[in-house]
Amino acid sequence: MSPAPSAPTSSPRPATSRSNSMHRSPVCRRNSSRFCRQLFFDRVARILCCGAGFISLGTLAAIFVFLLVLAMPLFLEGQWEQILSMTWRPYQGHYGILPMLAGSLALSVSAFAVAYPLGLGICLFACGPGPGLLRRGVISVITFMTAIPTVVYGFVAVFLLVPLLNSAVTGRSGPSLMAACLTLALLILPTIVLFLYETMRETEKRTRLTSASLGFSPVQALLLVVLPGSATGLRNAAIMGYCRALSDTLIPLMLAGNAPQLPSSLFDSVRTLTAHIALVVATDNSSPAFHSLFACGLALFGMSFAIQIMIRKKNHPARPLKGIWLDLLAFLAGNRFCLTVVHAWTTAACATLLIAIGGLVIFLLRQSLPVFGTRLFFGDTPVLAAITGRAPVWDGIFAACAGTAALVVLASLMAIPVGIGAGIALSQYLHGRLGRALRFSANILAGVPSIVMGLFGFSLIIFLRHTIAPQANTGLLLSAFCLALLILPYTINATAQALETLPQELRLLGPSLGMTGLQSLRRILLPAASRGILGGVVLSMGRAAEDTAVILLTGVVAQGGLPRGLLDKFEALPFTIYYLAAQYQSADDLRKGFGAALTLLALTVLLYGGARMLRSSLESKWTK
Amino acid sequence: MNLWKHFSIALIVAVFLAGGTAHADLLETFAGQSGKIDIAGGTAHIPVMTEAAKRIMTVNPDIRINVEGGGTGVGVQKAGEGLVEIGNTGRALSEDEIAKYGLVSFAFAVDGVTVVLNPANGVKDLSAAQVQDIFAGKITNWKDVGGADAAITLYSRDEASGTREVFWGKMLKKGAIADNANIVASNGAMKVAVAQDANAIGYMSIGFVDDSVKAPTLEGVEPSQDNAKSGAYKVARKLYMNTKGEPQGLTRMFIDYVTSPECADIIAKAGYIPLK
Repeated sequence: MSPAPSAPTSSPRPATSRSNSMHRSPVCRRNSSRFCRQLFFDRVARILCCGAGFISLGTLAAIFVFLLVLAMPLFLEGQWEQILSMTWRPYQGHYGILPMLAGSLALSVSAFAVAYPLGLGICLFACGPGPGLLRRGVISVITFMTAIPTVVYGFVAVFLLVPLLNSAVTGRSGPSLMAACLTLALLILPTIVLFLYETMRETEKRTRLTSASLGFSPVQALLLVVLPGSATGLRNAAIMGYCRALSDTLIPLMLAGNAPQLPSSLFDSVRTLTAHIALVVATDNSSPAFHSLFACGLALFGMSFAIQIMIRKKNHPARPLKGIWLDLLAFLAGNRFCLTVVHAWTTAACATLLIAIGGLVIFLLRQSLPVFGTRLFFGDTPVLAAITGRAPVWDGIFAACAGTAALVVLASLMAIPVGIGAGIALSQYLHGRLGRALRFSANILAGVPSIVMGLFGFSLIIFLRHTIAPQANTGLLLSAFCLALLILPYTINATAQALETLPQELRLLGPSLGMTGLQSLRRILLPAASRGILGGVVLSMGRAAEDTAVILLTGVVAQGGLPRGLLDKFEALPFTIYYLAAQYQSADDLRKGFGAALTLLALTVLLYGGARMLRSSLESKWTK
Repeated sequence: MNLWKHFSIALIVAVFLAGGTAHADLLETFAGQSGKIDIAGGTAHIPVMTEAAKRIMTVNPDIRINVEGGGTGVGVQKAGEGLVEIGNTGRALSEDEIAKYGLVSFAFAVDGVTVVLNPANGVKDLSAAQVQDIFAGKITNWKDVGGADAAITLYSRDEASGTREVFWGKMLKKGAIADNANIVASNGAMKVAVAQDANAIGYMSIGFVDDSVKAPTLEGVEPSQDNAKSGAYKVARKLYMNTKGEPQGLTRMFIDYVTSPECADIIAKAGYIPLK
């Protein structure tokens, strides 16, 4: 460090110390000013980090205010009762959103009802007495599923599941609640399984000796000790899984048919709140239909808020199951026939999982591998000219790949510094009530459906156009900004968690050497936690790469070429896939869609795989 | 650089050849220009817009033309709010829309809107009353109109669609559309949906009809663009581009190009009848 003269702000010494300094040696004086500088840096870092911590709270407040303000005309003009009606026919002046609310509930509840028992069965299998290789295999498949983008599930379901359902059910055809429900169940399955599996494994470790000393067989131990002991996991898995089902946009948009009606059977067409927003958002900005969308946004926001509060309120330290549930489990464990049924159920759950995911992957590979090549990416344009941007690409997905890359980079640039700063603030500086409030706000932000985030971005542009920037328009920058908000909580939580799980000795090391907080953070804590943080960062990049609902509302186009500036419209892989699934015009188009789906899947698998490797290498480093 | 020059010349030549007899005078005026045009709205317009954009951008890569769909409503709104330079509509603008936003319209093609069925469907002709009853949800089985015994799956468009407005006004006579109709977001999506569903009925621009779907005759009249132009087929409209105020610069050139005889082959190839 150069012995530069200390800045005026970094020498807050009172007059007495100045008289002392006359007797000091130059080295001593230099050290003193260096110390002051370090203190100053420490203070600045603390302020910056705490400021970043407040961004999640600020965003949350901004989203709420925007939704409320844009829904307000409904209250003021007394159209509130119209909104709470059962008919959506805007051309006749009916703006009821209740059918969509019912659609959202019907779809999320039915998908949850399929996924939860399935997930429970898979967890029981994975913790049960089966062959180790198979159990690990099932968990690897589940982990792999977390990397499959939503739009890829949707795309494959459109071309595989819907025709299957059409041929299985006579007299009924087309998209339906059923198709969306099954696909959504698959989508939320990894959330449920991974939450539950972690808790069950912990409980199993804790209670292994007890169960053995009681003479339980492995299955009995599983049903009578491990499962009741994992009550928190059971509940959190349920809540998180349901939340995911409720907030998804793309699956219902692609598969549920979008008829604004009350569903009366599983084969009816329904429209969810999320899909409704995506369908109707481009409408006259002063019409009641437009304002009713913000009422939908508020409803979704309110529901995810309530769910987060539910998690928070009931999260007492592990309290086991009791009462009727325990009796039920005891009955199951005691009855030979029931045990057979449980066994059959867990096996069937795993078989269903393997068939579904195997079918999905094989179908995708079979359709897309034959077209995978430079033609898929660049069409007939020479590769070099396309990459350097000198010639436009007409029939390839190159522009979409470039758009997605630009989005991921931009969103990461915005979200990651802020997220890491906020994570540091949460783990190091902010404690007590304020810290808890910020942590809570980050969790709520993580639960906000991405379509609501897109709606926020869209209304932000409208706001800007009507106030300070009449030229503001949707485009790359806006999409990246909204995506950054979407992935911010992931980065915050990953950073805070990585820092908090460091061993106590490491945290005491810095202060014991007389380091300032910042020095200790920079030289000891951050390097030690770097892999965990990096893992979180890569994970959120994967999330940014796959999200479709946000960009749908904030400036993606089907045909735009390479983006040349931050304000340009852009193409993106997930949107291209969604677009081609709905309206491919030739067999070539369709093959392009499959190729794009495989490309996106490869990208997210790469990112998620990287994140996992970084994370697990950190774990193994500290648990040795 | 030399290589690049050769290449672009080759491309221009290729475009000339592809264009056939069409002389590319107007296309040449784009050389040396730069800037961008954002286009949004009517989904029937997309093939024409994309192809025109392709030709212009091939001649001059400095021009950027973005083509988005969304439907007629989106075209009106986005052009009116100044979010895009050109907003496409599949119907004439209403008095209100012109007054509110100051939009100027440029028609370039005639297009009919037809009922479409899955090719596997045996029904060959429908009367106007039958179509109205089917979309109102009064007829729910194909056997009631001479088809197989299977429930009818309705497909309709979202409220932003100009195709929907034309179909609703001229074919359904502003009658009800059942709430249980599946909603798709574009003409292209309608074709895909109907092609994949054996019991489907929907409606779309005649320009989009191909082998994957079937357009039944209506009261004995074949829904074709020629019949739409002659007036024998009543459910027809013009396709418009709209700008906020008189178009200037690049936007003006684009509109001149699309409405000129030079673009007639693009419009015809997309399945519409060019006005010039």
